[in-house]
Amino acid sequence: MAKAKTDYSADSITVLEGRDAVRKRPAMYIGSTGDLGLHHLVYEVVDNSVDEALAGYCDTIEVTIHVDNSITVVDNGRGIPTDMHKQEGRSAAEVVMTVLHAGGKFDSNSYKVSGGLHGVGVSCVNFLSEWLKLEIWREGKTHEMEFAVGIPTAPLKETGTTQKRGTKITFKPDGDIFDTTVYSFEKLSERLREKAFLNKGIRIFIKDEREEEEKSHEFYYKGGIAEFVKHLNRNKSPLHDEPVYFEMVSDELSIEVSMQYNDSYDEKIFSFANNINTVDGGTHLSGFRGAITRTINAYAESSGMVKNAKVALTGDDVREGLVAVVSVKIPQPQFEGQTKGKLNSPVKGPVESFLNEKLGEFFEQHPAVAKKIVGKAVDAARARDAARKAREIVRKSAMAGSGLPGKLADCQEKDPANSELYIVEGDSAGGSAKQGRDRKNQAVLPLKGKILNVEKARFDKMLGHGEIKALITALGTGIGKEDFDISKLRYHKVCLMTDADVDGSHIRTLLLTFFYRQMPELIEGGYVYIAQPPLYKVKKGRKEEYIKDEKAMFRYLMRQGTDDVQVQVDGRTVEGRSLSKALEQTTELENYSGRFARRLGNDKRLMQVILDAFAGREGVLDKHKVKIKRVFAQEELMAEVEGKIAAAGYKTELIPDLEHGLSEIEITLTNAQKVVFDWNLASYVEFQKSVELMSDLEEEFSGPFVLGENGTSESIENRNALLERVTTMAKKDLSMQRYKGLGEMNPEQLWETTMDPEKRTLLQVRIEDAVETEDLFTILMGDQVEPRRKFIESNALDVKNLDV
Amino acid sequence: MLEVKCPICNTSARYEDNEHRPFCSERCKLLDFGAWVDEEYALPVEETSMTEEDIAALERAHQTGRE
Repeated sequence: MAKAKTDYSADSITVLEGRDAVRKRPAMYIGSTGDLGLHHLVYEVVDNSVDEALAGYCDTIEVTIHVDNSITVVDNGRGIPTDMHKQEGRSAAEVVMTVLHAGGKFDSNSYKVSGGLHGVGVSCVNFLSEWLKLEIWREGKTHEMEFAVGIPTAPLKETGTTQKRGTKITFKPDGDIFDTTVYSFEKLSERLREKAFLNKGIRIFIKDEREEEEKSHEFYYKGGIAEFVKHLNRNKSPLHDEPVYFEMVSDELSIEVSMQYNDSYDEKIFSFANNINTVDGGTHLSGFRGAITRTINAYAESSGMVKNAKVALTGDDVREGLVAVVSVKIPQPQFEGQTKGKLNSPVKGPVESFLNEKLGEFFEQHPAVAKKIVGKAVDAARARDAARKAREIVRKSAMAGSGLPGKLADCQEKDPANSELYIVEGDSAGGSAKQGRDRKNQAVLPLKGKILNVEKARFDKMLGHGEIKALITALGTGIGKEDFDISKLRYHKVCLMTDADVDGSHIRTLLLTFFYRQMPELIEGGYVYIAQPPLYKVKKGRKEEYIKDEKAMFRYLMRQGTDDVQVQVDGRTVEGRSLSKALEQTTELENYSGRFARRLGNDKRLMQVILDAFAGREGVLDKHKVKIKRVFAQEELMAEVEGKIAAAGYKTELIPDLEHGLSEIEITLTNAQKVVFDWNLASYVEFQKSVELMSDLEEEFSGPFVLGENGTSESIENRNALLERVTTMAKKDLSMQRYKGLGEMNPEQLWETTMDPEKRTLLQVRIEDAVETEDLFTILMGDQVEPRRKFIESNALDVKNLDV
Repeated sequence: MLEVKCPICNTSARYEDNEHRPFCSERCKLLDFGAWVDEEYALPVEETSMTEEDIAALERAHQTGRE
């Protein structure tokens, strides 16, 4: 003992040298004397225990924060060696506690993958502690030793016997060194949790005794870093349920990777080498990134998800929303950089090829997950590409001369508040508009809808790339998050002037949808208008009139035809406005019921019988005061309808519509074809409207009629005959021109009817209109077949040509 | 308060105080812009009457067009 003491004094010089160096510049050893450094002391001690666990000798670590902010770390490892160190002449434990970087000196083989590099060693902790107590349980014996400010107060001493194994270190950080000596339970917990994730199977407890109610956690993760990834994603919406996990273990290199995508745009990738958080990445991270980029690109191509390969998926694209942990373990890792946060060991190749293989396999086995992941990357790439195109449009238009598109006929006025832009469909209409306009303040931009032949019987219409570009450039606002600026709008009236037909309405729908989606400010500011070119020009005698649409034309005809006419019906006289309204309804009924007949094998008589059975004077609706659907739900009402159809000579059968809990009628037509009259058929707009119109008309306007004109009178049997008679009268001496498109109007006519501010009517587009247009667009584009079909059909009815 | 469906991803989005309106995000707005300039938005041109065959063809074309 006396000898040991002498040696002690001899060696104490070096001890003091190390100690003084650390105490003089603590930040050099533990990062800082602030919060960071304070917590680092704990990690340093815990790392020793984790190393012991990595070597396979320890599975439990307990950390306790005491009331005085001293810390105890206990593990169940082998215990720090207690035998005498041959060169130093002191106990090995004492050397570990008092010599810088002494830890690994003992047993370099046992810690195959020791992370203890930033490991300045537990001696640092000792040097920076007011006091430190060491207790070792090893080979059935308990050993104890104490230090004050890093200096042993006595040599290591055997103090008893024990069944336990392991090491216990308690220390109190020195208030003279640290700016703060208060530990954060949350911070320590977070880091210890990370350690538990990285070393699956290790159990780490943390306990905080400082408050009345003790706080504690237990960290134990069988799933290792896969659970880490889950934890990182806990407040996010993952794209796939379970993190992907790959592992490879060997003596030279162990790789563990887990990843899971969420729906955000950020990436969060943690990389570790031997449990050290390599904040600056390094070779393992490069290998990981390379494999991800390669594998996702390969899948995108082979699965056809990037059809024309116009966009290559970059690393940024494939990592968007990625949360991943990459952990490698290697003997003697090499690091680089001041903070040693970057792995330098040559592992890029092995990591990359391992992951290429594994991830490729995974995608093959989980196509649904693969599609989601790759789909997200493709979206990222497409968004990037779209942003680039937007910038390009803005840049190019700024570069080229006036920057205005060649086909724009601009106006002389420079003040946007007084300027108008007419967007016209088609070159010929554009020509008329250019000639007809007031060039002082009216500009004209002809746009051409691009026709796409999709299939033999079907054409699609779209706005081509060039048209979109011309549109943006002419408006002057630019496009995109950075560049769009409403204050640069060159015209405060942007008028859409399209043909009054389906084609024209398509172009208008496309333009409005584009504005609403990409430049909503345009609509919000009230800058967008719809011009209203006429569809007809009529001339009676010397009087010329332009008429806007089919409906207005029909009204015009009825007005002309019923001018000097009265109709007697049921002893009442109907004339003027109410007469023409009844006739309008009659035409409408004609249209709808004709469509309905087509669904009945074009059997017009059957159509009439069915409509009568519902909406006739003796029909079920009026008689029982029910709505249409009720009839299908009530079997006796259906039976009544069936009876009427049968009475007209059709073979019928009343059968249950099990699918809807209703009834339906199977009708055999004269040509032996069978039709089923069920709720589905009845829910079509043509039937619903037919019934509605017929109910109204039957009540108020049902033949026979007596037509009186200029003192003469004539008896007419039914509505259709009356309609025909009135139309004939209306057309007498009438000349009428139907414009198939704006192009048929000469410039003067176009000016007079549609562009002259004195005479035109412009409809201002409000945001509600745009939302409606957007709905229409979505239906037309959408993949829900049923609503689209219903919409197209009812719309087709409305624009159906009147046979006049 | 106007609530709209994001035209791209169909989630509901606020209209007011939303710089990406009527979209839920910058991403969706960009994807939409990309679709315009890449000529992906085409409306079916219909004649005044459609037969069942027309509709079937339209549905088929739409499905194949989307895959």
